Amino acid sequence: MNYITTYCHITLNNCYVNGKLTHSFNSNSIDDFTKEFYKSLILEYPKFHKMDRLAKTAFLGTEVLKKECPEILNYKDDEIAILFSNNNSSALTDVNFQTSYQNGGVPSPSLFVYTLPNILIGEIAIRNKWYGENMFTVAEHFDAEYFVNYCNVLLHKNAAAALCGWLTIDDNKIEAFLFFVTKKDFNELNLPLESKQLIELYTKN
Amino acid sequence: MEALKTKLKQQIIEQLNLEDFSVADIKDDMPLFGEGLGLDSIDALELIVLLENNYNIKLTNPEEGKSVFNSVNSMAEYIVKNRP
Amino acid sequence: MITYIGLENIISPLGITAEENFNQIKQGNTSINYHRGIGFGHENIFLSKLKNTPSFYELLSQCLQAVIKGTEDELILSKDTIVIISTTKADIKENITTPIIAAIKKLTKEFQLQQQPIVISNACISGVLAMNTANNFIKAGIYKNAFVIGADVVSDFVLYGFQSLYAISDKPCQPFDKNRTGISLGEGAGGVFMSSDKNVFKSTCFEFVEGTSSNDVNHISGPSRTGEGLVRTVNNSLALAQLKPSAIDFISAHGTGTSFNDEMEAIAFSRLGMNTIPLNSLKGYFGHTLGAAGLIETAICLQSLRNNLLIKTLGFEEDGASEKINITTRNITTEVTTILKTASGFGGCNASAIIRKLK
Repeated sequence: MNYITTYCHITLNNCYVNGKLTHSFNSNSIDDFTKEFYKSLILEYPKFHKMDRLAKTAFLGTEVLKKECPEILNYKDDEIAILFSNNNSSALTDVNFQTSYQNGGVPSPSLFVYTLPNILIGEIAIRNKWYGENMFTVAEHFDAEYFVNYCNVLLHKNAAAALCGWLTIDDNKIEAFLFFVTKKDFNELNLPLESKQLIELYTKN
Repeated sequence: MEALKTKLKQQIIEQLNLEDFSVADIKDDMPLFGEGLGLDSIDALELIVLLENNYNIKLTNPEEGKSVFNSVNSMAEYIVKNRP
Repeated sequence: MITYIGLENIISPLGITAEENFNQIKQGNTSINYHRGIGFGHENIFLSKLKNTPSFYELLSQCLQAVIKGTEDELILSKDTIVIISTTKADIKENITTPIIAAIKKLTKEFQLQQQPIVISNACISGVLAMNTANNFIKAGIYKNAFVIGADVVSDFVLYGFQSLYAISDKPCQPFDKNRTGISLGEGAGGVFMSSDKNVFKSTCFEFVEGTSSNDVNHISGPSRTGEGLVRTVNNSLALAQLKPSAIDFISAHGTGTSFNDEMEAIAFSRLGMNTIPLNSLKGYFGHTLGAAGLIETAICLQSLRNNLLIKTLGFEEDGASEKINITTRNITTEVTTILKTASGFGGCNASAIIRKLK
């Protein structure tokens, strides 16, 4: 039996960990929000500012989960699988990149690099030195069954834990749901990794 | 030249998303790569874009960039020399 | 429990079946051509493009159709069957805000799929990841069958992007070569069928032994200088397959033609002790087909197994890496049993897969 040890929801201006509001801001935009959130975590990670909104959100969510479940840091460097998904890939950054070369401009390499949704996984892997399995999928809706099935498969195979996330970022909306799956229920939340349970957590908040 | 260097520093901060830096933090002769500002290879490519978008200078060979982008001083000198 | 793999298909400028494509590359024919003014700034670019410029959806659908023909008709309609798709930018030319979902909805309807397809969008390793995912699901008994299709098309978006990285070669790409200067983009589709039942294959199939992925933990667009991610994924795949590096007869590497990638792979294969195993890159024939690469290149691997013929690395002439590996400089007729396919991509991702003939 695998467990959802910790989870968080991030919306524009708010972060909830395991159902409780942990961070709240008054920002007027996603960019301001992520900046304030980052500052509040006192991370000293200048690379953060180069990331696009998708990567920033995933990064912040992961930091918050790590704080809530420090046992994660005891795993070997290749035991944590990273599985992320959303329904619009890197659409926001895609539009920004396209804009950079239209109307007389020059294509921006730093934007182009973020026009692949799996880059956010790269950022998390680099930050945490996690060498394990990684995969980004695109689905119309949050696919709980996929996460349950694939986490179970990987935790039975060559992973001991999984960091999972579903993040949709539009112009002024963030819908992020991240969770850790582990074999031991470290925080004793008693949330078994089952589709029904996962959907319930996802739709909370 | 001073005004150009100040403008350049501002543009670098903006183009490269150097949130934690102000114009005052970037010294004229500070190495932009490695020890000083710690820029990486993608930043180098963005500086090429900066030259083209803001100064109409096209650097066709990224290898040239190593000496051009050594510091704000070298960048300013290059711009003054090659501005169309 | 064995996962079987077969029914390979390729749609590229070199043909619309795997056999056609294999015959073309056997003769040293490439699909990479000189295209005037196609690049940003009206630059002339070497790349591989399909004559009738099909859309991503057309490629996806045609390839799936072709693979389905090799099995029983009803399999695609079964609840035990999953379609796994691999792509980086899908229909970006038609639809920048939702290039993937629109195509998938169409596919689900056209083929009356009973399960939501899984779409893997993980840079250039997507194709290998897709097969790994299929294998994992099949071995876990979650699905019995998987149609695995990868496709991508050449677009201004992607071309201009690689140009901004100065990653486009000024000649047809030269994987691992001393004078390599970058990639040549390509487009197309590749597909395979995987199943726990070998009897549903209408032609000889093979065993998909194992596959894993690993991250470099280095830089989001530059590969690790030590090839750490690639070393780890190959070691993991070998360990799970209970095989030693010497069990591998041939390596179908990624070999894009960029200075950094090919150097990284040479270092990685050397660290793995695989310097003498014949190795190639197919990018000189097809160009870099991104989301389709893993599947197109695996399809050629299966053809190599069928024909006991290893293909020469087109574009390679002189060793250009700091570690010496055994790059094929001509076609080699030899008994081939076990192949290692690898891929590496932006985001520091790496994947590997081991496929072999049935005993």
